[in-house]
Amino acid sequence: MKNIYQPIEGIIEDIVTEAPTIKTFTIRPKEEFSFRTGQFIELTLPGIGEAPFTPSSNPDIKQKLDVTIMKVGRVTSLLHSASKNIPVGIRGPYGKGYPLDEFSGKDILIVGGGVGLAPLRSLLFSLFSQIERYNKVVLRYGARSPQDVVYKDALLEWSKMKKVDVVTSVDVGDAAWKGNVGLVTTILKDLPVNLTHAAAIVCGPAIMMKFVTLKLLDLGFKPRDIYLSMEKNMSCGLGKCGHCRIGKFYICKDGPVFTYEQLKDIHDIWD
Amino acid sequence: MPSIYFTESSQLENFFNQLKKEFRVFAPVVKDPQAKVVDYYCQQALPETPLIYNAYRVVEPLKSFFTFPFEKAGDYFSVDKDISEIAEKTVLFGVKSCDIAGHKIQDFVFLEGVEVDNLYKLRRENSIFISSDCTDFKEVCHCLAWEILPHPTVGFDLNLSPLNHGYLVEAGSIKGEELIHKHKANFIPAKETQISARKVKRDNFIDRLRRHLLPQNLVPRDRVQKVMKEAYNADTWKEFMLTCVECGGCNFICDTCHCFLLGDQKKGALNSKVRVWDSCLYAGYARVAGGANPINTRAKRLRNRFMKKFDFFIDNLGLPACCGCGRCIEVCPAKIDIREVLKDADKKANLVIGNQ
Repeated sequence: MKNIYQPIEGIIEDIVTEAPTIKTFTIRPKEEFSFRTGQFIELTLPGIGEAPFTPSSNPDIKQKLDVTIMKVGRVTSLLHSASKNIPVGIRGPYGKGYPLDEFSGKDILIVGGGVGLAPLRSLLFSLFSQIERYNKVVLRYGARSPQDVVYKDALLEWSKMKKVDVVTSVDVGDAAWKGNVGLVTTILKDLPVNLTHAAAIVCGPAIMMKFVTLKLLDLGFKPRDIYLSMEKNMSCGLGKCGHCRIGKFYICKDGPVFTYEQLKDIHDIWD
Repeated sequence: MPSIYFTESSQLENFFNQLKKEFRVFAPVVKDPQAKVVDYYCQQALPETPLIYNAYRVVEPLKSFFTFPFEKAGDYFSVDKDISEIAEKTVLFGVKSCDIAGHKIQDFVFLEGVEVDNLYKLRRENSIFISSDCTDFKEVCHCLAWEILPHPTVGFDLNLSPLNHGYLVEAGSIKGEELIHKHKANFIPAKETQISARKVKRDNFIDRLRRHLLPQNLVPRDRVQKVMKEAYNADTWKEFMLTCVECGGCNFICDTCHCFLLGDQKKGALNSKVRVWDSCLYAGYARVAGGANPINTRAKRLRNRFMKKFDFFIDNLGLPACCGCGRCIEVCPAKIDIREVLKDADKKANLVIGNQ
């Protein structure tokens, strides 16, 4: 009988520094492993602990996956000081991921904040690989400062693509920064998006998602067209350990992506 | 028609002793017979252990036979993905109706959903429940408030009902029928009059329990979810948490609480994944890396516990996650009483300004 809590082994093959507190780890699982965009994994340092992350790589690549991690707690700090070729545990993938079929034929607005661009990068790869299915992709990304902007090269590359519109903003600029300055909500004006046929996908810190959602509602987006990546303490990933309850849902199994329609009547969703 | 048998007390003792030879048997014991209120504990029966009929539920929750406070959940990196546990067939005596009702929640969590917890399933399949009717109650008992009868009607393999100098034994499953068949010398089919007598005894006991509960004015099952929704912003949660010492006892002793944490353990060169019961009243229960905590106050944590029991499970399973066993009331060093919390929430439900 299968042990549902048993991790499989992976090796950290590469580590890229994205920002002072953000690194991308490329992991090669030793067994067959695949995920759908937006699903998450539990990444373990054996004997130390695990934490949930949504892979940031293209789900079509099966041999390895990227996980972009900000140094915030015990496990992530140890991961940041880890070197290549160490073994890690992988459990998952968990959750439902992004409902790509629902996005088909629409104008897709993607709003990212900080390291929240990680899961969205995986989504963008999925969208780009079948770009003919979508009307257009509009990316609005905000980071705290120019040095906190992740995937700098990719952002530049995407902005040159057809049917793709990219605007980046930082809360506080510096001398070299030529782009927008201000919270991400300030670059949500005059969006080149047809509201009657659009989907907005938001991922970032809770406070950012809250104000972006309010802004989007204000602009006329319907609650059912706003997709949010919710985050809570998730331990098992299987809807059994009880930690990530929100209203009648478990974020791990019913999400982590929810429409605002699903969440709007639940108390304290942004806490 | 259910298959019901009659067995003399001595025959049941005989059956009990036979089972001890075939299975690992757990049965109620009394540690302090002189106590004002006798507590029964469910312990592994030794060859010389006599069979004791527990008038009400034992101290330990039934879940403690299926998930453990601390246990290994996986190995780094085991080639063998299979669960290896020597499946010991276990007979549990003294299970009560509340335990069976509460265990529906555990079954729902571990046997259903996105994946089945196979270790739980294995332990479940290897267990035999020999339940029995309650013939007395503790002050804290309130099964009837949740529309759970003090005698099991489903979910048991065999159920015992004391009658005259023996017991009526009802088989509730194929496993139960097989046990009766194997030990048939101890059982004879029950007579109609005996079955009617069981009903009279049961009805009388329900009456007694109802008279105990009536003056308490408990929140009824059909209204509890509404109370939870309307009392979300009430000060109930703050008030009742004043004395809480955050020991987690109410969670660990609860028949329905199932939360656990998957952690890691280092033992020399061996790393393993461990599963540890968790308590939603602990400050770190919902804390995430970086320190954010959606239930960062004691009041929010108590409310979260009640929302889980009386809102989440009603939405997801159609049942409140409380079986009225009263274990949490007994265990609480701060005397926080689940019945009183709900009554207070009910009283304040519609008085709160700013409710949605």
